[in-house]
Amino acid sequence: MNASADSYGDIAIRWYRPVAVTFLRRWLPCAVIVNLLVLGGEWIRENDAGTMLASSGVAMLITLSVLILGSEALPAQLRRVYWLATLAVSLSATAIGVVSLLESSLSLYDFFSRGWLIGPAGLSLYWLLSREVRVWFAGKVDGEIAAAGLARHRRLAPRLESFGTHLLLWHAAALVVVPVVWIVDVALSPGNALGGAIGDAFTLEHFERLIVGESFWLWTRNSLTVATGTTVLGLAFAIPAGYAFSRFKFSGRSQAMFAVLLVQMFPGVIILVPYFMVMKTLGLLNTSIGLILAYSVTALPLCVWMLKGFFDTVPRELEEAALLDGCTQVQVFRRIVLPLSLPAVAVTALFSFLAAWNEFLLALVFNTSNEQYTLPVGLASMIPANGQRWGDFAAASILVSIPVVVLFVLFQKPLVQGLSFGGVKG
Amino acid sequence: MATEASRDVVFRGVTKRYDDGTLAVAALDLTVDAGEFLVLLGPSGCGKSTTLRMLAGLEEITEGEIRIGGAKVNDLPPGARGLGMVFQSYALYPHMTVAENLSFGLRMARRGDRLEAREIAARVDEAVDMLGLAPELEKKPRDLSGGQRQRVAIGRALVRRPKVLLMDEPLSNLDAKLRGQMRIELRRLHEQHGTTTIYVTHDQVEAMTLADRIAILDGGRLQQHATPLTAYHRPANAFVASFLGTPPMNLIDGTVRDGQFVAGDLAFALPEHLNVADGPCTFGIRPEEVAVVDTGGIAAKVVGIERLGGESVYHLAVGGHSIKALWRREDIAAPGVDLAVDSAVVFAGTAGSDVCVISD
Repeated sequence: MNASADSYGDIAIRWYRPVAVTFLRRWLPCAVIVNLLVLGGEWIRENDAGTMLASSGVAMLITLSVLILGSEALPAQLRRVYWLATLAVSLSATAIGVVSLLESSLSLYDFFSRGWLIGPAGLSLYWLLSREVRVWFAGKVDGEIAAAGLARHRRLAPRLESFGTHLLLWHAAALVVVPVVWIVDVALSPGNALGGAIGDAFTLEHFERLIVGESFWLWTRNSLTVATGTTVLGLAFAIPAGYAFSRFKFSGRSQAMFAVLLVQMFPGVIILVPYFMVMKTLGLLNTSIGLILAYSVTALPLCVWMLKGFFDTVPRELEEAALLDGCTQVQVFRRIVLPLSLPAVAVTALFSFLAAWNEFLLALVFNTSNEQYTLPVGLASMIPANGQRWGDFAAASILVSIPVVVLFVLFQKPLVQGLSFGGVKG
Repeated sequence: MATEASRDVVFRGVTKRYDDGTLAVAALDLTVDAGEFLVLLGPSGCGKSTTLRMLAGLEEITEGEIRIGGAKVNDLPPGARGLGMVFQSYALYPHMTVAENLSFGLRMARRGDRLEAREIAARVDEAVDMLGLAPELEKKPRDLSGGQRQRVAIGRALVRRPKVLLMDEPLSNLDAKLRGQMRIELRRLHEQHGTTTIYVTHDQVEAMTLADRIAILDGGRLQQHATPLTAYHRPANAFVASFLGTPPMNLIDGTVRDGQFVAGDLAFALPEHLNVADGPCTFGIRPEEVAVVDTGGIAAKVVGIERLGGESVYHLAVGGHSIKALWRREDIAAPGVDLAVDSAVVFAGTAGSDVCVISD
């Protein structure tokens, strides 16, 4: 071996850590967190045996993480004992996991929660027994082993990393999908009760009832009117206002902008009563116009600020070029600024539409007759204190979400563009 | 090439003061002849862009008046002044094709002045031919290269047949190689269309190569208005002397006493024709005018050498002052030098604010 190879070995020894140890250090803390959540669940459900098993599982995992973290620079005489202890802890963690799985009712959740104990503990066990980790714990790493280990690390790390990423993404996806699956199941199950296994029965009776009945269509029409009206009215004010705030200097500009923001700071409930009195005086209770007015006013601050932010990104030189090309100020706005801002306008429109589509409190207070209910209020009326119609409710809530989903899919491109801004620069 | 005197641009006592009190341009008097290529040159913040923007109508004029073709334009909106402008960022309309960009100004003309569609198309074709943009007509600006965008911006300014073409640092967004090409092309285009042009830049090479005349500004004041070579060889003051030329002119502050220039340990006779009155002054000499002589020179020590290939910049210590010399030879060690007093300039009064005396 020549000098340079020697020094490479030295460098390798200094930087070497088995890929298994690296990833256990990263993954075990995650497993601890998940198991703590599981423990919390058992505790809330007052399942004594479960709580006991889960807490000992958590304790074992924590011990294991600490042991793995401390596996570097051990005194030579302790090494073998240390490795044996680590092995014993991971073995018992795995055992606790298996026992509590056998004790459980073997539902999907049980597999998930115990999997988060058995998986990491079993993996530690498997890796602790591998030659690479045994050598590492024994402190018998020489230059050659370290060099091979580094190469192995480079080969395996991306794969393990991608496994971890996928695991994370699957959990994130499940978090979104599980409630939807649930409500779809309720909507497709006969009767109006909750519970029962997923996919145990199938019926379209709830959808049929909604589609045949009049109320749902009435509510949809009201919601559409109100949401469209709000969007149109709101944008009609927000576009010019946003442009003026972005481009012109006038006295009271900054005060006005702050005032617009200030309105946003009041919780809606505070103005509920005054709103009601104003609407009553104007005779706008139980009308779509009343709601449109109220929603537009509420949505305006956000719309104005969003549009102002976008108009700010349209280069001033473009407007100056248009002025020199003979445009009037109005033409500059209509021919240059507005076409360039369409993504932002679309996004703002989407937001105010959705805000109006989802709003509940004002719609509930302003409208007393079934004739004027919007969808959220109508939906709420399906679950009164007695005799909830969960099946109908679930079916209706699915129907209500469809337009929202469709809008998001349609507006996906401008949404991304509009939110990331700066799409103007040629 | 149009020569009617009516096409001149005249600045008379033009002042720009911003709301916060900053004086951007102070009492500027300047005329531009018909068909002339004038370059406004100066460091950033000197007021050159503000001057251009006042002419374009994008900035209010605080005092004074601007005339285009004999008519006062102070209160006309930008579109009514008959100007074309090329912006630093090109400011092409991103949502329009090249063809739409080019014709936008013609389409936006007021109803009475608007050309027929056929005429608009002819004008656009003309510009496209001149600039070689035919293959690009249906593309959007984002699909064009920097040079092509630049050409479209020039074309858009020219299709309106402007009385004056304004350019605000049009080459500063291009890379060095393309900038060199575009410089030549801008000059060629100017000779082709002959439009009176006012061009703002901080790059002295652009100014020297493009301009018929240069107006050098500093601190909002006009320092010198002359042809490039006059400004180079006979700078009006120390600022101009130090702003033009790479490396810039050597300037030494000193005093004149009985025809002798004295600055610390350095002392030499000034030739009589320079005709300098006694008192404090600044002595200036271009690096390429410093020559090596066998006898009668001033002792100098080489402090450092920057080899540029074709020539080298020698940093010399001469009587306690450091000056630069530009020589082709690379083997000069520590010679005596002749400060070539004959081709030097001397600015009476230090800081070079006043008149200069120039050798002949």
